[in-house]
Amino acid sequence: MLWYKSWLETRWRFLIGLALLLCSAAGAVLTYPQVLKLLPQVPPHVDGLLGEKIREAADLARSYQGYVWSSWFRQNLTQAASLFAVLLGTASFLSLEGGALFTLSLPVSRRRLVFVRAATGLAELFVLVFVPSLLIPLLSPAVGERYALGSALIHSACLFIAASVLFGLALLLSTVFGDVWRPLLIALAVAFALAIVDQALHSPALSLYRLMSGETYFRTGRLPWGGLLAAAGAAASLHVAAIANFTRRDF
Amino acid sequence: MTEQPIITTSGLYKSYDGVEAVRGLDLQVPAGSICGFLGRNGAGKTTTIKILLGMARPTRGEARVFGLLAHSPQASAAIRLRTGFVGEEKDLYPYMTVAEMVRFAAAFYPRWRRDLEQRYLRRFELPAERKVKALSRGMRTKLALLLALCRGADLLILDEPTAGLDPAITEEVLQALVTHVGAEAMTVFFSSHHIAEVEQIADRVAIIDRGRSVVAGALDDVRQAFCRVEMVFDGEAPEAELRAPGVIQVRRSGRVLVVVSRGGADPIVSAARALRPKSIDVVPLTLKEIFLASLGEEA
Amino acid sequence: MLLRPNPSSGVPIYLQLMEQVKHAIETGALRPGDQLPGIRPLAEELVINVNTVAKAYRELEHEGVIELRHGSGAFVAKRARAGRLVHTLRDAQTLVAGMVKQLRARGLSEEEIRRLVEAELAGYTRPGGRRD
Repeated sequence: MLWYKSWLETRWRFLIGLALLLCSAAGAVLTYPQVLKLLPQVPPHVDGLLGEKIREAADLARSYQGYVWSSWFRQNLTQAASLFAVLLGTASFLSLEGGALFTLSLPVSRRRLVFVRAATGLAELFVLVFVPSLLIPLLSPAVGERYALGSALIHSACLFIAASVLFGLALLLSTVFGDVWRPLLIALAVAFALAIVDQALHSPALSLYRLMSGETYFRTGRLPWGGLLAAAGAAASLHVAAIANFTRRDF
Repeated sequence: MTEQPIITTSGLYKSYDGVEAVRGLDLQVPAGSICGFLGRNGAGKTTTIKILLGMARPTRGEARVFGLLAHSPQASAAIRLRTGFVGEEKDLYPYMTVAEMVRFAAAFYPRWRRDLEQRYLRRFELPAERKVKALSRGMRTKLALLLALCRGADLLILDEPTAGLDPAITEEVLQALVTHVGAEAMTVFFSSHHIAEVEQIADRVAIIDRGRSVVAGALDDVRQAFCRVEMVFDGEAPEAELRAPGVIQVRRSGRVLVVVSRGGADPIVSAARALRPKSIDVVPLTLKEIFLASLGEEA
Repeated sequence: MLLRPNPSSGVPIYLQLMEQVKHAIETGALRPGDQLPGIRPLAEELVINVNTVAKAYRELEHEGVIELRHGSGAFVAKRARAGRLVHTLRDAQTLVAGMVKQLRARGLSEEEIRRLVEAELAGYTRPGGRRD
């Protein structure tokens, strides 16, 4: 029943996120023809950072693969996954209004309480990342394009593993603070800071966001094994820390 | 056949951020008793209860339930399997309905009593499809109590079970407790500010003040130990200190000398005779007066 | 039922129950051979601890006022002692009535009379506190 309880606690976040992302993915695919039509109208000589970005986006959009990568994986899904990773990872373990003492009076170990909540949230994050992404190879023929299933899977995997680091952070913070707002805001702030640094430094090698968008795979076809392992390790450590913190905590 | 006590604490200490909530608490609750746990706000009642249930770890000393160590995680899970708990906040899951809460709780206890579940749902008139957040305080308390009673537990720990309830629901709750305990052979340990209800249903009492036990034992024994001896003198009541074991308080008012003692009346009366009073009256104290007297306040 | 203990009076509930049962026997509300309510039903009805009722019944049995028959319940003792108790009490009532009348005639108030009686029972009223 712990699984059911975790589901009840997170289902609206999950379902709304899924609905939004499915629409977003479908929208990305179905508007590609429009984008192609508008490309010639992009001004080639805009200065500065904005100009760079516009030119880059336009260049990428000339190929369908580039378009999907830049607008879906690098932008929409990365932003959404960061947000939902934090939202799903914020758990009301300690919140008295959420029945914390009742939960603690149940004959289950604290480790199991965190484990079930984490597993439920991660499963939901997994679906949020993979299912809309898989819609893209499915729908692409409708606009006369093709997108490799393998690419969708690999990008989704990179995204999920990187996003699970943010999930783990939110989970750990949830075992530290009693309210739901501080874990949420702090984790979002961290995600935001990482995103800004990533933008400013043009996605350096150690950026979480570079890993999330799977840039290395897109540009070179090679999987960023180092990054994936590091991220998986970081995520695992955060989860272990969350369990350890919750287990030794006094109420 | 003397069993070991269901609950024992010895030299229990607990500090939160340098503030000592429990300071050397020694407590024993025998099996089959209904023990009332009295104390001022902040005296350490809730902290003690949390320690018993493994929600907080003692700084020093030990607490045992069913003979098991309360701060060991495995033992604590075993304790909680046999213990029903109703917290002060009656916090349950606001987004679940009554029926879902019952199903949820039942899943954790192999000894769940379906027969009691049906009986209490009817008796407490709890609407199965209503969400917990839409329940009144009284109904939430009754639901929390139902969830605690149906577990097939050997021990019930209740933190202020009737707080904020009107007298009718309070009586319902007390009656459910008395009936259940009579039929099921369990032990009840409950903290309360309502001294009248402790007097009504408890057969043991433990009073805690500033983290320590100040009174503990069978309620009848405690009532016999605490008394007020009133002496009237011909002239002004003498200034002499009344030395006798158990004296808590001595008060003079004109020709009257009042001594409150917790060691029984006889030692006081023996000592009092030396002062040659005109009359001596021995008056029993109500539990409320005992409570206030043991805290060192005016009785 | 005739039993109505007051939990807040300061007197242990089991003592009150015993007194009330004895009083019921005196006044004839309960006669030798009558069955008393079961321990658990009585506790439930009065919303008091089952152990308290059990203790009261045990003490009453010890004093010979009632009999606890295993499996059947509690019954008022048929023994002559109970009858004697009633008889003695009736005589005592007459004595007390006479004494109260006398004391009132001397101008003592109800409160003063009550205190004198209680103090006498406790054995403490001799000047200087000597017990005779």
